[in-house]
Amino acid sequence: MFDAQRPGDTVDQKETKISARNVQVYYGDTHAIKDVNVDIESKSVTAFIGPSGCGKSTFLRCINRMNDTIDICRVQGDILLDGEDIYDKKVDPVQLRAKVGMVFQKPNPFPKSIYDNVAYGPRIHGLARSRADLDVIVEKSLRRGAIWDEVKDRLHAPGTGLSGGQQQRLCIARAVATEPEVLLMDEPCSALDPIATAQVEELIDELRNQYSVVIVTHSMQQAARVSQKTAFFHLGNLVEYGDTSQIFTNPKDERTESYITGRIG
Amino acid sequence: MPVFWLVLILLALAVAGYFIGRIRAVNSVGGDSRVLHSLPVYYGASAAISVLVPAMGLLAIWLLAQPILVERSVSGMIPSSLIPDGANLNLVMADVRRVAEGLNVAVQQGAISNEQARTLRAETSDIRAVLGQVGVALGQEVRPEVLRAAQSYRNLSASGALAMTVTVLALAMVGLGVSIRISHGQFRARNVVERVILLLLMAAASLAILTTIGIVFSMLFESINFFRLHSVSDFFFGATWAPNFRGDSDLSILPLLWGTLYISFIALLVAVPIGLFAAIFLSEYAGPKTRAIAKPLLEILAGIPTIVYGLFALLTVGPLLVSLFGQSGTLGVNWMSGATSVLTAGAVMGIMLVPFVSSLSDDIINAVPQSIRDGSLGLGATPSETIRNVVIPAALPGIVGAILLAASRAIGETMIVVMGAGAIAKFSLSPFDSMTTITTRIVSQLTGDGDFSSPETLVAFALGLTLFVLTLGLNVLALVIVRKYREQYE
Repeated sequence: MFDAQRPGDTVDQKETKISARNVQVYYGDTHAIKDVNVDIESKSVTAFIGPSGCGKSTFLRCINRMNDTIDICRVQGDILLDGEDIYDKKVDPVQLRAKVGMVFQKPNPFPKSIYDNVAYGPRIHGLARSRADLDVIVEKSLRRGAIWDEVKDRLHAPGTGLSGGQQQRLCIARAVATEPEVLLMDEPCSALDPIATAQVEELIDELRNQYSVVIVTHSMQQAARVSQKTAFFHLGNLVEYGDTSQIFTNPKDERTESYITGRIG
Repeated sequence: MPVFWLVLILLALAVAGYFIGRIRAVNSVGGDSRVLHSLPVYYGASAAISVLVPAMGLLAIWLLAQPILVERSVSGMIPSSLIPDGANLNLVMADVRRVAEGLNVAVQQGAISNEQARTLRAETSDIRAVLGQVGVALGQEVRPEVLRAAQSYRNLSASGALAMTVTVLALAMVGLGVSIRISHGQFRARNVVERVILLLLMAAASLAILTTIGIVFSMLFESINFFRLHSVSDFFFGATWAPNFRGDSDLSILPLLWGTLYISFIALLVAVPIGLFAAIFLSEYAGPKTRAIAKPLLEILAGIPTIVYGLFALLTVGPLLVSLFGQSGTLGVNWMSGATSVLTAGAVMGIMLVPFVSSLSDDIINAVPQSIRDGSLGLGATPSETIRNVVIPAALPGIVGAILLAASRAIGETMIVVMGAGAIAKFSLSPFDSMTTITTRIVSQLTGDGDFSSPETLVAFALGLTLFVLTLGLNVLALVIVRKYREQYE
């Protein structure tokens, strides 16, 4: 069973997990992210909202250096994870990505069995001492992904045979199997139907107990439902960042107000 | 009238039909082409088609059928006593055709008149000398029956050609008339033209398939002839290949099959790792600039004629291997006695197959969705781990398909093995021995002075058919695997 209520849960919500300072991102000649400063708290859900092309996904991918895989992408400024600069030369991006997991827009299970999908990360990083150990990790991760009951009888069936919502929860289970500290989610529900979306949202709310979750979403209702903090991006700028309730009820910037009331987007 | 002129006239009629059809269609709606069912160009094209297609079709059929019919009626004139022992009617008919053509040439050059050509008699004039004057050399004196048959052949051909010209032109005129009649505004010319284009495409596709079927049947009939003369079980299960043109040969496919498979295996041993690694580098690591240069360069290898690879095997790789493994070679092992060996041919063939494997594998690896790579990288896997654990397993069925396609090319390859592998058919495990393959034996059995009806020559067809079935099987297997793989991601 997953240990949902831990002592530290309610005590310290204000500790900063990730802090970005003057972050600039360029794709070739395009200035995609302009001077973004943001502090993301641990053990909470932070939502990035904004119209298409505003740079929210780009910024999300900076946090685990997935943009390194794109040749023309350049990142300037500092992103600190627990006070350490992740763009420092000493940091191995591969190690970083084990600490900062990622769930993608489209469910992307590997063409392997459900078990092998979840065991993939632990195997690569050598997290399991034995076969039995690995079994435990897989079960725990699948439970955290809230999909254990649905797949426990067919762990060796291919992961690609699951439904879209199940695949996405499998991908979340796969991401938490490496024991990350931060979980980045890039529009995790945009390819799912409303029921699967509700299941994933419920899961995100539970994950908050253990991880910092950063979620990019197009749905303002979703941001309002799952997040504690919300950041609004527009044309590469971070326009407004604050408590979700404040952003949605009492936005300070008129662009934010226009967006959440549906006038721009 | 020569066929060339006939075709030119048909084309001229078609062009005329094009303009008449087009103008008539436009005029039928008072010059306002917007009212027409189709664009004016379709009316012109449909008129040209109705002139050209039936007439050309008839022309083609007539040209194919007339010689057969003429020959059949003329061959009745040849008495069986005239056919020498050991020859058949075809040889005499070849003489008849040659004399007939000679007479045509003589008439054209003015050596004899057309009337003389009809009435010449072998008994009264020296045909051989007459034809010799105009440059048609005959091997022997022309016998009276042959001359008469040749004259009849000429007459029938000439009257047939006249009838053909008249009929084809008449049909073209009918086509022109019909097309002009129906070229009015409501005629659905576009549909007609597109239907004809569709038929044209279908004809092209079925021609390719029919050719394959034709090849199979021609091989099949000759193979059946072979198996009438040679036992099936000896061919498939015997252990010796020793053709002997005096007859009574050992003709078994097994030693050749062994050589073929051994050389192909070595070729794949060279080509698969190199090709696959090249594909992985190009698709996963190389930047766009490297890729833009390296990929075409690699594919140039595929454009080198195989005979050049053969020379490379014979003159460079073979001696190099001998200097390594031969007597007083660098390694001092004395395993290799001559430059031609399984290893020589296999290595060079492997180099030939590298672009084949790499190009196909590269396409297949590129088809693996980026999202799967992102998923693996996002879990903290290195690019290399991602390739090994996710990309290659996902692409594996397609890669296997690529390898099977390469294997079927290796099995069918001829020139490299002719020059690099030697000519000795034997079972041996040593890659330094000279061996031979099915393809090279087909070449050697069909070249030279063999009698075409002897088992030593006919065995080439049985070998060819076996080879065809083998490569066809591999290709089908490869296509099935590749197709199954494609469904997985689409």
